[in-house]
Amino acid sequence: MNRDKNLPLTETTYYVLLSLLEPAHGYIIMQKVEELSNHQVKIAAGTLYGAIENLLKQGMIQSVKSEDKRRKTYVITEKGKEVLKLDFYRMQHMIGITKELLNL
Amino acid sequence: MLRKFKFFIDFDKEEKWLNEMAKKGYQFLHKSIFGYTFQESEPENTIIKIDFRRFKNQADFIDYITLFEDSGWKHVSGSKGSGAQYFKKIDPNAHDDIFSDQLSKAGKYKRLSEMFIELGLCYVPIFAALVATDAIDIAALFHPKQLYLTKGLWDMTGGEFWKAFLFETPFVIFRTLSWLFIPIMILLYFTFGYKAQMLFEKHKNQ
Repeated sequence: MNRDKNLPLTETTYYVLLSLLEPAHGYIIMQKVEELSNHQVKIAAGTLYGAIENLLKQGMIQSVKSEDKRRKTYVITEKGKEVLKLDFYRMQHMIGITKELLNL
Repeated sequence: MLRKFKFFIDFDKEEKWLNEMAKKGYQFLHKSIFGYTFQESEPENTIIKIDFRRFKNQADFIDYITLFEDSGWKHVSGSKGSGAQYFKKIDPNAHDDIFSDQLSKAGKYKRLSEMFIELGLCYVPIFAALVATDAIDIAALFHPKQLYLTKGLWDMTGGEFWKAFLFETPFVIFRTLSWLFIPIMILLYFTFGYKAQMLFEKHKNQ
């Protein structure tokens, strides 16, 4: 089976996609990622800006209208959700096989 | 107010210099093509970081700056099209860098390199057109005698020769320099582009 060319996602990208299941702007994404990752993943502004730019280019997120004139708001697309699920199954397989072989 | 002119390709060195200036009591205000402007102030331990980005429209630029300001970094200098964007950490709880991984940190050198190569490439067709229309005579650059346009100059002798020769020399120098200007710019831009590319490779592999 051919694997989707977007896989595997980086930890940063994975959490950014997860945090965009609901529309959010940049700073909200930063806070959500930190919270979702149990404070393990902290994305700095320059890195997040580049990540958003890439995800837009790949069609995994899209910008949506917002009241806020200074901050752009984004949300995950169907394609983004699909890739997120594929990466989840990929990791689920890794977890399953590791459990089995290490008797965890 | 203090003005300084310096040229950097390596952002790390530029950041270090700006922070050292702040420590000496010169607060960085802004940078333009005329150099850096500082204001005399209390010595301060600052964290100034530089990103390199150019924006298509004002809305994108404002969104970008707002993201940094929301996360504790004040935008100090840079405009929509300037490329270099200077940020100063003002929230003590913020990250110590504007990048949280090596690849995105390296990315700014990639964008800097692309800009220099683009600039260099802009001059290539202009240069080619000037050569094709004989506005620039490349052959003459290798045969300096052809640079002198006075008829029969090289057959003259003694005082007559020196008078004509010295009279035309400033014109020759001026014309040659103007011919060389474009190829030198192309060479410089490509060199800077190459240097920035090398810095990209270095940071990417760190």
